[in-house]
Amino acid sequence: MIFLLLIYALIFVITAPGLIKRKEWREFAAFLVVYAIAFALGLMYVLGIPIPSPMRGLQYLISDKLGLKYPQK
Amino acid sequence: MNIEKGKISSSQILFLLAGFVQGSVLLIDFTVGITQQQTWMVILAGLVITAPFILSYVALAKRFNGMNLVQINDMVYGRFLGKVLSAYYIFFLSMTLSFNILDIGELYVNFLMPDTPFIFLLAVFATVCAYAASKGIEALARVSHLFVVTEIFIIVSTFILLIDQMDFSNFLPLFELPFIKIFQGIHILSAIPYGETLVFLMIMGRLNNTGRMVKYTFGGLLIGAMSLFIVSIRNTAILGKTQTIWTSASFQSIRLIDIGTVLTRMDFLIGVAQTVLIFFKCSLFFYALVTALSQLFGLKSYLPLILPLAGIEVILAATVFQSPVDHAMITQNAGIIYSAPLMYVFPPLTLLIAKIRNLPGQERGGGR
Repeated sequence: MIFLLLIYALIFVITAPGLIKRKEWREFAAFLVVYAIAFALGLMYVLGIPIPSPMRGLQYLISDKLGLKYPQK
Repeated sequence: MNIEKGKISSSQILFLLAGFVQGSVLLIDFTVGITQQQTWMVILAGLVITAPFILSYVALAKRFNGMNLVQINDMVYGRFLGKVLSAYYIFFLSMTLSFNILDIGELYVNFLMPDTPFIFLLAVFATVCAYAASKGIEALARVSHLFVVTEIFIIVSTFILLIDQMDFSNFLPLFELPFIKIFQGIHILSAIPYGETLVFLMIMGRLNNTGRMVKYTFGGLLIGAMSLFIVSIRNTAILGKTQTIWTSASFQSIRLIDIGTVLTRMDFLIGVAQTVLIFFKCSLFFYALVTALSQLFGLKSYLPLILPLAGIEVILAATVFQSPVDHAMITQNAGIIYSAPLMYVFPPLTLLIAKIRNLPGQERGGGR
């Protein structure tokens, strides 16, 4: 948990001040969105909260619902 | 507006492509369990079948010279549909990058550093790839030939060192597998090493001269395919039917090298080569992902997104599959099916629409 906070604090310190200084607000907003998603995922991982896998969802949709799959045997 | 200013030459695309395909050498194991001793045929058939689609990627890059995939989609499909299609491509890039980061984690945990925490390996590897991507495509292109030559040296030298143990009757019987197995094998190989080259639609726009692009693209593809072919021949000739039961057939066959009890335990060579090549492949994927996302957001630079994206990719890699078996099962089915439209449908369709609408001729001046 401490490592996660340190890493994300470091990422913020490395990236954000330059963007604010150069008044690159669009880049700053995009950075904040991606940063927030990354931090939320990292927090969920560290706290042991299950993270839904996009590939499991695709497997369910493509193979189980649509029946698109290769025979196993 | 293009977010990358760097330029690469046509000859560099040859090494970029060769290294990219060679980075999938260990991934032929996904097919080995299905196509067994006929994997070598599937590698060649996959190349032949995918070649026209790769030609459509090259034709698109030539037609929309200086533009990347997101810009091409915006121009051909309009701003809304183009962005939806680009988001689909970005999802593919993001997922495939996480699978490749996971591959390196599994390689280290299973064979090289079993006591190191898995998440630490993933984080370190993703950070290095992020650093490489931040240096731009020019830097990656400048070192690409070193990676390719190293891999060729390792593949050829291990083949020669194992030649006395090879049993070529292991390739028999030919054509005994049911057609559906061969078809699935071809689909896997067509999608994983060859179809993934669609990332070059984010890179080919940076070429300073598109003159010999087709020649160099296919040259690179051929070097990569020949590397996969030689590895497949080596593994089947050495291990025979047993290659299907090992976690990594390449590691197992290299472990059998024993020249006068001096040259033994050469599997570290595979470890080094694969680390280097998967790093190279992941760096190209990372570069394509971050530039595509930045282009979609309309940013001036892709650098601010690199580190948080690396964080997302690490967590995706750590959680996307529950086990290596789950990884193989999903990749062999949903993994290759969901990406099929991106590889086989949209690039030729985009080219066709561009020809019909005579793009980019009319819109080039005001197009983004």
